[in-house]
Amino acid sequence: MLQTNIRKSQHVFKQPGLTKRFMKQWDIQLMVIPALLFIFVFSYIPMYGVLMAFQDYSIFKGFMNSPWVGFKHFEMFFHAPEFWTVMRNTLVISLLKLGVGFPAPIILALMLNEINNRIFKRIVQTISYLPHFLSWVIVSGFVVSMLSTDNGSLNILLESLHLIKEPINFLSLPEYFWAILVTTGVWKEIGFASIVYLAAIAGINPHLYEAASIDGASKVRQIFSITIPSILPVIVVFSILAIGNLLNAGFEDILLLAGNPVLRDVSDVIDTYVYRVGIQNSRFSYATAAGLFKAVISVGLLAGANYLARRSGNSLW
Amino acid sequence: MITFSKAFHAALSVSLVFVLVLAGCSSNKETNAGTTEGTNGSPNADTASFVLGEQPLEFSFYGHYDWYTMPPWGEDLSTKWIKDNKKVNVVPISSGGSAKQKLNTMIVSQELPDVIWMERDADVEKLRSEGLLVPFDDYLDKYPNLKRWAGEATLDMLRSPDGKLYQFPNWYTTQPNGNAGYLVNKKIYEELGSPSLETTDDLYAYLTQVKAKYPDVVPLEVGQSASGIDVLVSAFAENRPYTYNAMKAVPTGDQLGSIFTDAAFRESIQYASKLYREKLISQDSFTQKLEQVEQKVMTGKIAVFAASSPTEFGAKGNALLKADDPDAGYIMVWPVHKAGLDKNKIFPGDYKQLGWNVSVITKAAKDPEAVFAFLDWFTGPEGQRIIMWGPEGLYWEGTDAEEAPQFTEKFTSDIEGREALMAATVNFQWNGNTVYVDDSKMKFESTLPAEKRSWETYWQSEITWKTQYDTTEFVNLDPAGDTDEGIVAQSIFDIYEKARAKAIMNAASDEEVASILDKAEADAQKAGYEKLLKYKTTKWQENVSKLK
Repeated sequence: MLQTNIRKSQHVFKQPGLTKRFMKQWDIQLMVIPALLFIFVFSYIPMYGVLMAFQDYSIFKGFMNSPWVGFKHFEMFFHAPEFWTVMRNTLVISLLKLGVGFPAPIILALMLNEINNRIFKRIVQTISYLPHFLSWVIVSGFVVSMLSTDNGSLNILLESLHLIKEPINFLSLPEYFWAILVTTGVWKEIGFASIVYLAAIAGINPHLYEAASIDGASKVRQIFSITIPSILPVIVVFSILAIGNLLNAGFEDILLLAGNPVLRDVSDVIDTYVYRVGIQNSRFSYATAAGLFKAVISVGLLAGANYLARRSGNSLW
Repeated sequence: MITFSKAFHAALSVSLVFVLVLAGCSSNKETNAGTTEGTNGSPNADTASFVLGEQPLEFSFYGHYDWYTMPPWGEDLSTKWIKDNKKVNVVPISSGGSAKQKLNTMIVSQELPDVIWMERDADVEKLRSEGLLVPFDDYLDKYPNLKRWAGEATLDMLRSPDGKLYQFPNWYTTQPNGNAGYLVNKKIYEELGSPSLETTDDLYAYLTQVKAKYPDVVPLEVGQSASGIDVLVSAFAENRPYTYNAMKAVPTGDQLGSIFTDAAFRESIQYASKLYREKLISQDSFTQKLEQVEQKVMTGKIAVFAASSPTEFGAKGNALLKADDPDAGYIMVWPVHKAGLDKNKIFPGDYKQLGWNVSVITKAAKDPEAVFAFLDWFTGPEGQRIIMWGPEGLYWEGTDAEEAPQFTEKFTSDIEGREALMAATVNFQWNGNTVYVDDSKMKFESTLPAEKRSWETYWQSEITWKTQYDTTEFVNLDPAGDTDEGIVAQSIFDIYEKARAKAIMNAASDEEVASILDKAEADAQKAGYEKLLKYKTTKWQENVSKLK
């Protein structure tokens, strides 16, 4: 966001040269250095580690002495019998999370914005963002005990409502898994994610609404003609980031909710596969190769999304 | 004002940068110190014996398990006594819940702990072959306890390919031990007229009865990941502990064969599938958390519980249920068998002479001999008495001719205090001496009237210790994870887990179970199962010749 603003300002005002402007604010620029160093040290220097993907890395021999093997690990990954299942699951789960999880907080923010009772609004907001602070271990504990067949609350509820005769084994049936995963994710993050949108909505000039209501626009009309267009830049930027994260289908949530090996056909994604097959077996090069493959695709997706967004004038760069 | 703020900004920025640089330097220093420490110290065999208590000894200890956190040393009666009297201090290094990553990090950064407490698996060999471990051979005669209690055969089995001993065993034994078997809810059993529970057909009939009469009770609880079903495999063949399931290999003659074609395994899965279909097994078996299992056992919501160690929850549940109703509680039954088999050849569990796991001393230790001297003392009678039953004068006073402690009146009267002590020290039992501890316990228990005996010890002596199979010859068959065989083993493990769960949960008939297992066999062969079985057979035969 900051970068976009700076860029724009460059276009609008033809200001004195770069060095001159830089010298003028040297003290402020100096304060940026630690942040740059931080990114350099923790995000760029470790990148040499991806070279491990092209080695037969051994923790005893170290990086310098491990033999180079070219694309061996990539080939193994592409030819692994699980490859297509893992890719499909990764894409399906991410798309579901994007399709359901991305609009959900926007809708919640829009709904909260229409509530006039301040106290009620506060309560809803607090309750809805609390789950964000729980770790997945705890959330999965809730979910598992709620969906159990022996004394699981959901099954007891459905049975007492006479909707089902026998308890349903939710956590062992592949057809339910994606729905459980996505719903749990939305429940956990919806409140926290909506804060950004609420903040954007708060920044909208109230005169616009006043004018609209004088012109006779209904509440719904106002939402579509004022609120949504006003927060569109925020939505676009967040959607670009979300698309860049597309291959991060999740890790802890899947690892904790898909305890049953029967679910593996629908639950195994790149990250869980890398963890199980690579890290757990000390196959670091193989794990790195799979991770690198994922990263390359993600960068491609991010660039693609940004290209599309540039047309609306809200791109990241 | 403006100049002030400018100067202030400048000062702030400069100091921020400075702090950052400093932070970078200090962390550098730390790693350097670690490296030099790591390369120091090699065993010195010629010096005189190290006498505990004469000089202080301090070493770092890392338990290589996700679940393990070493309690602080010296904060309970036992370790406080050791700290005060033997001048030993142990500094814990925590795995932080991800042991594999922690150990890898320590190897890469050359900051190994002095002692690693770990499984007896391929990782030990990896560390050894890289020359990171200290061999014990020079110390064995100077410090006699390990040699005396473990015996030469056990030590030979523990020896590495170079013929030297690097591993200090834990709970090593020369007599059977273990708790695997079947726990039965006493109240339900008696209310149903105490029917015979000898054969698998008896068990099936009993479970059906339970389901009909007690709708809110799980007829057969099989624990987390349905591991109790593995215990059940022992019912379908003589001399068939569940260990072969875990090995994914079944011995026939002097070869190891496929698990998927093993008759006993297939029959046990068909049996389990039938029980699951008829809702006689908990439907949550593959998803439940350990706490859910514990809760069910504690509240008596199970009729039968099959597990590799049902006694832990059983003892707690028994005490809890008895407190409410003297007729309630848990009993154990002799392992069930398929009709026609000899019930004295049914082994639901196993034991290994080598015990559970091992401690290794790394080259990072400054004085490895002193560390060994401590471990050796710790596994000897005095060390075991202190860590199991606290310092002398509380629960025991003096010893008999065989060095077994003479337990005091308090040992039976103050059960709560004793159990609190046990709970505090259980995570310090790094090199348990099974024979010494079990014999001492049994000797004492046999002098007590039946109602005063501990529930656990009673069933151990009556049933479980008689029904555990010696599987010492099958230790260390697993290849390292990053070798060709290791990659195959990972695939086989995945195929096995998936097929097992599918066959139990989704199959509608015995034929379907068979076809799922046939498909698993075909997939396994494609993944290179044959090669893995050959590797394991070679390892097994090496063990067999060592044990002769």
